[in-house]
Amino acid sequence: MPDPFDPLDPLLDRWREPPDLSRSLAPEVWRRIALTEQGASESGGFWRNADAWLSRPPFAILFVTCCALLGLFLAEVRVNRLQREQSAQLARSYLQLIDPLLTAAPAADTP
Amino acid sequence: MKRGLLVLLLGLAVGVAAHTVYFRLHLPPNSDSIDAQLVWMKRELQLSDGQFARIRELHEASSPRLRALASQVAQMQAEFAAFENTRRATDRVDFIEFARFVEARRSISRQCLDSTRQLVRAAANEMTPVQRERYLGIVSPAEPTTSDVTN
Repeated sequence: MPDPFDPLDPLLDRWREPPDLSRSLAPEVWRRIALTEQGASESGGFWRNADAWLSRPPFAILFVTCCALLGLFLAEVRVNRLQREQSAQLARSYLQLIDPLLTAAPAADTP
Repeated sequence: MKRGLLVLLLGLAVGVAAHTVYFRLHLPPNSDSIDAQLVWMKRELQLSDGQFARIRELHEASSPRLRALASQVAQMQAEFAAFENTRRATDRVDFIEFARFVEARRSISRQCLDSTRQLVRAAANEMTPVQRERYLGIVSPAEPTTSDVTN
């Protein structure tokens, strides 16, 4: 007598043995550790390189000069901006000085 | 490593010091007085010392009258505010009083306009054509406001 059809049979047929993770996992872990260590040594290398460059007197002088020039440039930009703002303010103040109606500007809605 | 760090910090310190000293030395004076405005005008219009002295005299001579007119305008504003409050409170308008107020306001506005124009014209007469054109460009915002209020 044949066995009755069991709906679990096709699902059990599709089941496969899981791949052996133990073989591929360890090399992957070591590879990642190596990558991380390499990145750390590269970033440390940047600072070592920077230190080596800055320790040379010509480059140190160049670096300090560049810092001073950058500071002066930013100060000039700030001064220019302030002068523009102050010019606009003085122009408004001058108009108020010569025009009494502007001095009392809120009265614009009076008849 | 220490030497590089030292140079790095030195660079930052020099940059900040240069920035601060330059900024302090070139910081424009912050003043709203008539002197500051006239000095600004001298710089903007590139006035000679002679022109600057004459224009300063003109401004100083007209200053008391302009101030008096400004205080009259302020007084008219206060009167108008009081008039408006009364109208809102009582819901009645004293048309005779209102007409008197409008006439007084027009008269003061006309005087303000005349005084401003007189000063602008006198100052412009002391200038070269190029300076005058620039000056009239600066003071032109004052003209429409004055004429609008007068009309």
